[in-house]
Amino acid sequence: MIPTEAHGTIALQPSACTSCMICVRECPTWCIELESHTEQVSEPDARRPKTVNILDAFRIDFGLCMYCGICVDLCPFDALAWSPEHDLAATTAGGLVLGIDELSRAWPNRNPTSGS
Amino acid sequence: MTPPLDLAVEPGDWLRSVVALRDEGCEVFDFLTAVDRGQVIEVVVRVMNPATKAATMVWTTVPADAAELASLSEHYLGATWCERETAEMFGVRFMGLADQRPLLLRATLGRPPMLKESALVARAVREWPGAAQATDDGRQGGNPSRRRQLPPGVPDDFLRPDRSSLDQSAGTT
Repeated sequence: MIPTEAHGTIALQPSACTSCMICVRECPTWCIELESHTEQVSEPDARRPKTVNILDAFRIDFGLCMYCGICVDLCPFDALAWSPEHDLAATTAGGLVLGIDELSRAWPNRNPTSGS
Repeated sequence: MTPPLDLAVEPGDWLRSVVALRDEGCEVFDFLTAVDRGQVIEVVVRVMNPATKAATMVWTTVPADAAELASLSEHYLGATWCERETAEMFGVRFMGLADQRPLLLRATLGRPPMLKESALVARAVREWPGAAQATDDGRQGGNPSRRRQLPPGVPDDFLRPDRSSLDQSAGTT
């Protein structure tokens, strides 16, 4: 039985990510890559349009990751969390690079203590 | 008598201090390694008394540009391996160490890899992912200039084209 708070893999909640790049810059092994662009968003009662970051790509290379959890600890928006998903294996080194889809699929829904 | 937990000595007193501890009963050699503090390199050895389980860490500092220290290998059998490792990883020369062969690295590798000024090839050949910025979507004038970012824990001149440590890595031993 694997506990729900187990450090099996790192998961991403893309809707919470603001593309602030803190995880990418603090990662000691340089295993996170993030691509984003800015968009102007007009709101009816605002004088000027707001500039927001739109997340285009987010990749973690688990062939480089050492599971230190610094990215999870530092994310100001709780967009990264530990997940008990653990069956990470691949037949090529590139197969260990997971994108937004795979990372968000691992998001620990059953774990009430993370994410929020 | 209980030996101190930590003992800082001058490099000239290194051999005498550690041998004195051995004579007091600290006969087990645990490990010897070094820490790069920039201008100086700290060398530390941990020895233990097997009867009382009391252990002492002996520290000394040697200048980084002339890192020389007396070898403990004649007094502790296990010291040779650690001194060979510290020699090739931190560039500390152990005077009187009979076996000066490189332990793990090729002799032609260049700068000792554990010195902080030695750039990892894996870092130099790849662009830092943290340098990326959000691209603008239909705005005039491009990105506003932001302060230059550096990866955490690297020297200030990291990744500048005139870095000398990379050029030197092909030459000296």
